[in-house]
Parts: sequence; structure tokens; C-alpha cells
Amino acid sequence: MAAGAVAVATAPVPFPSLEWFRRLADLMNANRARQEQLGYVDCTAQFTVAGARPFAVQVTFEEFAVTDVRLVDDEARADFVLEAPLAAWRTMIESIRRGGGRPALDQTLNRLSHFDSPIRVRSDDVLRKDLYFRYNQSLQEFVNASAAFETVFPD
Amino acid sequence: MAQGARVQDPQPATVGEAAVQWYERRFGEENPEWTAILQRNAERLARGQFSLHWLDTSQANWGRRAKPSSRGLTYTDVNNVKGYGEIPAVADWRNFTARGSVREPYRHEMPVLDDYTVVDRDEVWADNVITLYEEAKARQWNATRDIPWSELAPLPDDLEKATSQLCTFLTEVEFVAGDFPAKWMYRIPQDFLEVKSFLATQIMDEARHQEVFRKRAIAGGGLLHAGAGFEWALKAILDAPTHTMGTFLLNLLGEGLVLSIFRSGEMIAKTHVDKEIFRRCLQDEARHVSYGVMEFKWWLDHHPNRAQGIEEMHRFSDVGELVILSSFTEPALVEPIAVLLGGGLDKIDQGMEGMAKLWSMFIDEYLQRCARAGFDRRERCKIPLQAPWGQA
Repeated sequence: MAAGAVAVATAPVPFPSLEWFRRLADLMNANRARQEQLGYVDCTAQFTVAGARPFAVQVTFEEFAVTDVRLVDDEARADFVLEAPLAAWRTMIESIRRGGGRPALDQTLNRLSHFDSPIRVRSDDVLRKDLYFRYNQSLQEFVNASAAFETVFPD
Repeated sequence: MAQGARVQDPQPATVGEAAVQWYERRFGEENPEWTAILQRNAERLARGQFSLHWLDTSQANWGRRAKPSSRGLTYTDVNNVKGYGEIPAVADWRNFTARGSVREPYRHEMPVLDDYTVVDRDEVWADNVITLYEEAKARQWNATRDIPWSELAPLPDDLEKATSQLCTFLTEVEFVAGDFPAKWMYRIPQDFLEVKSFLATQIMDEARHQEVFRKRAIAGGGLLHAGAGFEWALKAILDAPTHTMGTFLLNLLGEGLVLSIFRSGEMIAKTHVDKEIFRRCLQDEARHVSYGVMEFKWWLDHHPNRAQGIEEMHRFSDVGELVILSSFTEPALVEPIAVLLGGGLDKIDQGMEGMAKLWSMFIDEYLQRCARAGFDRRERCKIPLQAPWGQA
């Protein structure tokens, strides 16, 4: 299991949901030693599930912790938005779970977003978009932590 | 014909006896001031007297204590203390004295360092330089220990060669991003300590990148081919006439390109080892790009004649972009990436389609970064907006 993914037996958590992202935040905050190895993360990332039932959440990272997880009320707060259809998020999350915290080679955040498909990275400001790259390893480990619990998806 | 890069008969300009004679003159007849200081100190010590002048705080910022923030004691925290955080527009202390120390009474006895020539704050400063310095320290990593080298498994021959060639290219180019800041760092006076500190982290980052790609190539098969096109691009960066011009070419354009290559490298990596390498490197590179954008923005925003400054940068970019293009079109760079993108030598044509997408993305990001700094380059950009293949 990759560093950052803590094995905890819990009830399945639905995706997408505020609870799912808060669970990731709890796991990150419980593993401060790993965050101190990786270094500061200072950004607000928005995760958006596009499609018939859109969902968007903003996660604020400060220093070594997640300080806020909220449903989006002001998209401008986000430094950058990661947007993908549910199927793409699901494939990535299932790959992370199968890999024990390490996704398959073709299921990393950067791999999925590099050509803006299936994950599209957008921002009004190229410098704020660059934060996605400056903290890429930390963001990858943030989602990798989803291996620690079971995720359920809508039919 | 260009002179061969290998020096046939190395002869340092000054060696042995000549070098020692020069040093003797330098600190003898040419600069005898220090001997008076030595004599004065020696006489005081011989008399058994103390000076204790350093206990006088009347001209010091003594007692205004810096308070740490949640991250510890940052440069920002220290600069918030009155007397320490004022960055002079022009640095007139061309020696090692610390900004905020008691130094005026000693000015007349101090040497002037001729190499400290970048005395204009607007040639080096960026609004984000302190943040980037703190972040760089916090996000250091170790190419020996943090990469899961033991998991590295052999790839099919064509993919291994493509990976090794890409790593050879990156090994070749990474050190210019260390040599360039090193060249300028020692020309920047101590009053711009935050900039010097950030440049030191960039030099460390680039040393680590050179290290990790050299190790990856040699662990996977070996270093492959150098490229003349790369070398001219690197020389154009190193020979840039000013710090701002060179930082534009290196950090904004060159490292922006390398950031795209790192992101592509992560995307096309055939092993988790390579994924980790590229992901770590792209984080560092994005910091350097960010400094490049904001340093350029500061320079433009504070230029006494903005229109003239912009025109000079356009003329500089007209040359710089084309020289960088000589690197970006080298087969020793384009072809291995295409092989990795396509998934094999037999799929290189598919890979070139992917490369064309990357090309457009990179140029668009470059132009966005220029615009963010206040430099509209879109109409004058010498690098084609679309990849120059498949259009005939």
C-alpha cells in the first residue's frame, strides 16, 4: 500500500458526496508525518463530476492539512477545477482501490488530465492553474487515500 | 564552422605562479586597506583591551523580535519586523553586510565587490519569491531515497531506448537551469537575499533533476545521444544579456516547455518508477515557471518606459524563441516522446499525433504565461502555434 493510504475498516462511502471528500481530508490530516515529508500544499482544488447529476466540491489545503471541504457556492474560490464525468472518476477510484493506494499507470491524475480528457483542468489564471502541478504529488496521494475505504457509486 | 566543443589542449588562463602573483598583488599593493584593520585589531588585543562597540544598539533595530507564524519563522515573518523588510529599489551595499544590520559606520572601510552588478531590484524581484522559497524548502525530495528504484523492471527494447534517450536529453538540459541562476546569483547583492535564497533552491532542484534522469538512464540501459540543437538553446539561455531576459527565456519559456515534457513523461511512463520521477520533477519545475512569470511581471510593471521595455523583450524573444525551437525540433527529443506516446517504435506515427497536441498545448500555455505577465506575444510569437508536421 502506498504511503498515505491508511487501512481503516469503515462503512462504504458514496461517491460523489461531501462525505467522501471529508473522509479523504480526515485521512490526510491523520497522516501529518507524510504531509511534512511531501511539503506545504496551499491551494483550493475543486473536484467536479460532470453529467446529468453534476456535483462539485472544493477542498482547501493549507500547509500540511485540509482545512475546509465544502459544496461549491463560489467557483472563483477554487485555484483550479478538475472536471470529469462520473465514469472517469469511478474508473480512477476503483483502480486506486485495486492497487492498494496506487492507481494503474493510466489512472493517475496527471495521466488523466494531461490532454484535458477525461479530466479537464481549468482555471481563469494560468498561475493558479500551475498550482495543480506544484502540488501534484500531494494531490495524487490525497486521492490515493481512497483505497482505505470502500466507495459505492450510483447505478 | 563552430569551434569543437571539446577543448583539445586545456590551458587555464592563469595557473600556478601567475595566479599566486595576481592574488598577492590583489591583496597587497592594490588593496592594502585590510592591513590597517588587522593592525588595529592586533594592537588592541595586545593591549588586552576590548572594543565592545557591538553592544551599542543605538543604530540597530534591536529588540523588535520576529514572531513565528504557524509554519515556523519565515522570511515574511522576519520582514514584518520594522527595519528588516524594506527591499531597496537600488542596492548600494555591494558587499556581504546583512540588510538591517548596523553597517553604515563601517562603510568607508569596506571593500566593494565588483561582481555585484545587479543592483536594480526590478531586475530580480518577484511578488511570490518568498512564498516560492519557503515552498521549495518544504517540498525538497531525494533522488536516491524517494524513488522506488528497486521496482524498476526492464522495458521492451524500443521503449527502454526511448525512455533512456528522453532521460539523456533531460540530463543535458537540466543543468543550464542551475548554471543560469548560479551565473547571476553571485552578481546579486545581499540586500536581495530572498531572491538569492530562491535561486539557491532552483540550483538544488536542477542538480536533483540532472541526478535523477542520469540515474534513470543508466539504471535502465544507458545514456544515449546528446543533441546540438539542445546545446544552442542552452547557450542562448546562458548568454542572455540581462537577468530578466534570461529568466524569461529559462524559467518562463524553457522551463514551461520542460514542465510540459515532465507532465508528458508522467503520462507516458511505462513504470511506476518513471511516474514518480516525473511527478516529483514537475512540481519543482512549476515553481521555477511561477518565479519566471512573476519576475517578468514585476520588471514590466516597474519599468520606467514600459513600451520600450516591451519592445526590447519582443526583439529578445524573436531570437530566443527560435533558438529554443532548435531544441524543441531535435529528433533526439521529439522521436522518443512520440515512441513513448504511441507505445512503441512501430506506432511512432500515432505518437506524432499526440506530439502535435502537446505542441499546441505548450505554445498556448506559454502565451498565457506571457499574457499573465503583461506581455502579449501572441501576434509576434516565432514558434508556430501548430506543430510543423502533418501540414504539408
